[in-house]
Amino acid sequence: MTNPTLRIDDLRLGFKTWSGTIDVLHGISLHIRKGERVALVGESGSGKSVTARIVLGMLQQLKSARISGTVEFEGINLETLKPASRHALRGTAMSMSMIFQDPTSSLNPVYPIFTLFREVLQRAEPGIDTETARRKAIAALADVAINEPERVLESYAFQLSGGMNQRVMIAMALANNPALLLADEPGTALDVTVQAQTLRLMSELVEKHQTSVLFISHNLGVVREFADRVYVIYKGNIVEQGPTAGLFDNPQHPYTRALLSAVPRITGGGIPDIEDDPAQFLAPLFAHQGYSEKELLK
Amino acid sequence: MSPFFRLLAKRLGTSLIVLIGVSLLIFAIARVIPGDPARIALGPNATAEAVLALREKLHLDASFLTQYGYFLADLARGDLGISLYTNRPVMTDIAQFLPATLELVLVSGLMMVAIGLPLGILSARRRGTWVDHTIRLVTMLGVSAPAFVWAVVLMLAFSYFLKIFPIAGRLSDSITVPSMTGFMLIDTLLAGNLRAFADAVWHLILPAFALALSGIGQAARLVRSNMVETYERPYIEMAEAYGFPEKRIARRYAFRPSLIPSLTIIGLDFAAMLGSAFLVEAVYAWPGLSRYGVAVILRKDLNAIVGTVLIISAMFLIVNIIVDILVSIINPRIRLSQRAS
Amino acid sequence: MKKTLVILTRNPLSLIGLILVGIVVLSALFADVITPFPAHVGAVVDFANFNQPPHWPNIFGTDLVGRDLFTRVVYAYRISLILGIVVLAIAVPIGVAIGLAAGYLGGWTEYLLMRLTDVFLSIPPLVLAMSIMGLLQPTLTNGMIAVTAMWWPWYTRLVYNIARSEKEEGYVLAAEVIGASKLHIMFREILPNCVPSIITKMTLDFGFVILIASSLSFLGLGVQPPTPDLGSMVAEGAKYLPDSWWLTVFPGLAILIAVFGFNLIGDALREILGVDQ
Repeated sequence: MTNPTLRIDDLRLGFKTWSGTIDVLHGISLHIRKGERVALVGESGSGKSVTARIVLGMLQQLKSARISGTVEFEGINLETLKPASRHALRGTAMSMSMIFQDPTSSLNPVYPIFTLFREVLQRAEPGIDTETARRKAIAALADVAINEPERVLESYAFQLSGGMNQRVMIAMALANNPALLLADEPGTALDVTVQAQTLRLMSELVEKHQTSVLFISHNLGVVREFADRVYVIYKGNIVEQGPTAGLFDNPQHPYTRALLSAVPRITGGGIPDIEDDPAQFLAPLFAHQGYSEKELLK
Repeated sequence: MSPFFRLLAKRLGTSLIVLIGVSLLIFAIARVIPGDPARIALGPNATAEAVLALREKLHLDASFLTQYGYFLADLARGDLGISLYTNRPVMTDIAQFLPATLELVLVSGLMMVAIGLPLGILSARRRGTWVDHTIRLVTMLGVSAPAFVWAVVLMLAFSYFLKIFPIAGRLSDSITVPSMTGFMLIDTLLAGNLRAFADAVWHLILPAFALALSGIGQAARLVRSNMVETYERPYIEMAEAYGFPEKRIARRYAFRPSLIPSLTIIGLDFAAMLGSAFLVEAVYAWPGLSRYGVAVILRKDLNAIVGTVLIISAMFLIVNIIVDILVSIINPRIRLSQRAS
Repeated sequence: MKKTLVILTRNPLSLIGLILVGIVVLSALFADVITPFPAHVGAVVDFANFNQPPHWPNIFGTDLVGRDLFTRVVYAYRISLILGIVVLAIAVPIGVAIGLAAGYLGGWTEYLLMRLTDVFLSIPPLVLAMSIMGLLQPTLTNGMIAVTAMWWPWYTRLVYNIARSEKEEGYVLAAEVIGASKLHIMFREILPNCVPSIITKMTLDFGFVILIASSLSFLGLGVQPPTPDLGSMVAEGAKYLPDSWWLTVFPGLAILIAVFGFNLIGDALREILGVDQ
């Protein structure tokens, strides 16, 4: 069987501080096959965002970070790579890219969209000339249903609406046809309807391109609509994993249950406060039938 | 381009109001001092008649506002009165001494930007490393001593001990060029004398560097702290996640947003050099405004003091206007809102 | 407060700052005890021993009339510190009050006060102090007046900017709703929010006041002889370079050490208290 796009095995992360090491991830394992859309669900501080940053190779250079375990991208173990080769896996053609929580503040305020877009395209094609870059950018913006791509390219992020910036961000993320898209709470800063619209758009595009997606979210409504499989993370441990429908219909782990019962039925919104119950919530990982790492990676 | 001129006109307008305020302030200070300016000017041996005549001439017996009115009327004609120290029009004196000072300050300002900004960028890029710590410590030393201490130290090290640079002056004694603009770098070029130009540069480096040191330190520290803050922004994380080259992130995507808040203060520091230039000129026997300024202050030469302060403040305001324009150019938010309104 | 001090002693840079400032302050306080020739503060001459390079007991050498340079440097510290305290003690309250009034009251008050501040800020610092000093008699008191006159506007600007943004904050509006007086809001509600910035700036400025004051006296517009002053010592010594290097190097170094120390502490405070530059 071919290698999964992403395979994480027993990943541990700690930060060294003056007063000892703070453990953030306690050995998580997950994987994403080609074209699969996998959600990593948990509250803020559960370790889901740092996971994405380790996959991108952005935490490894941090002096205080202590990382162990395996992260494999298309069968390549990231830990064996030199920093330069890890860097070469970010934003280049057929590699990884990312979408962020707040599109407007993720776009540099002193450069017009085209400058940023060109920089993104240069990652795949270093010698790209202005005309080709413009043509490609316009095509990519048209793909995310932007009507006046020329005008948008001349604009600055602060001149565009949040929804428009999110489309721009999606277009940039997919411009170099990545193998893996990391979506970290995409569009959480946007209002609910806009978020749903842009997510649907992203969903269609990744399906079309067979892009694998690691979808990081605390928004269960969105996850339910978007993901094929779900991992639930609590305080640096994966506590439950399974197919989206199975997990939502039949949650087994006490933490997942608490999470689900706290969800408002309408789409959107964050998770209301869940009363912390570590004794129960730290119960061991529950994998749904046929959905443990062992079974899936056979 | 009309919104641009509207901004310029607005800034010029406020600056003019401030400049009138400056003239009023310095004029008031000059008039409330104890003692008779005419008596001080003429010295203790002057006759009572001479003093009286001078008082008449300077309108010293009129009310304060009348005196200020005379002063403004003269100023409007470009007349700052006669210096009681040199017996020449203050305007002529300033025109003679100002170019040397301006040349020094401009070159220092150039050094401040050319050395300070890259140091700040490097420090921010390598934040937390020994490179950063070293730059921070050295730049802090730079701002921790007045320009005259650096002037003396540099002179001792490079002129007396290592004998690399000349000790004082603007040009070697053996070289003469006709004075046209008063800017030695320009005059030597106009004279077509490249050897003289090189000699002028040689004389300029040490005093300009002494004057620039604290500015270099300020600029580097400011850029570093603003850039470190910028590095925390989501758009830098985006640039890193997309694998933009690290150097380009530093020089473009992190530097430019941090330059916007830094620039105003760098402008103020640059303008402050007009004051510190006095200290460096004194050490290097630089024939600028300093010796004249100190001399007229010590002699309580009112016209000359008011004139000198006014001219320096005008320079200061011009620098600030230029900085404002630069900020509006590099900050699209300001540029575009001006176009919209 | 105590916590801040503890953090200051942990960071190696600010610890150096504390030590340097400690040395400066203690030597100024105990100048009578630690200097070998306290009498050399005044117009004393000892021609048998003039212009000597550093040697025991004159560890910084002697000046042109044979006075011990170390003694004079230490006493100059005392005067610099007094000047710094007095200048900040007068300039800070004035600047803060004007800044609060302009920032909170707004309208014509704001316009007039801020234009007045602009006037002072648009004369390069040293030039304003020079002119005031030159027009008055060069004495220590007048030096303080001159430096104070150029210093308050910086605090006005600092506090003005904070006050302007704070006045829209909920707690200020709440105080207005319950009918608190304007003075109460300015000094009891807004001022406490300015305190970290003010303290940080005062620490840094203590060094800069010393720096500016020495610049004035370097130009001959400061404290007059025989009172020891670091700036005028450098000016005097610069005439005898390079042979009598100690005449300039030690007073110059003394300025550097004091200002550097205050800067190190101020810089660390800025980080600890989270104050913007």
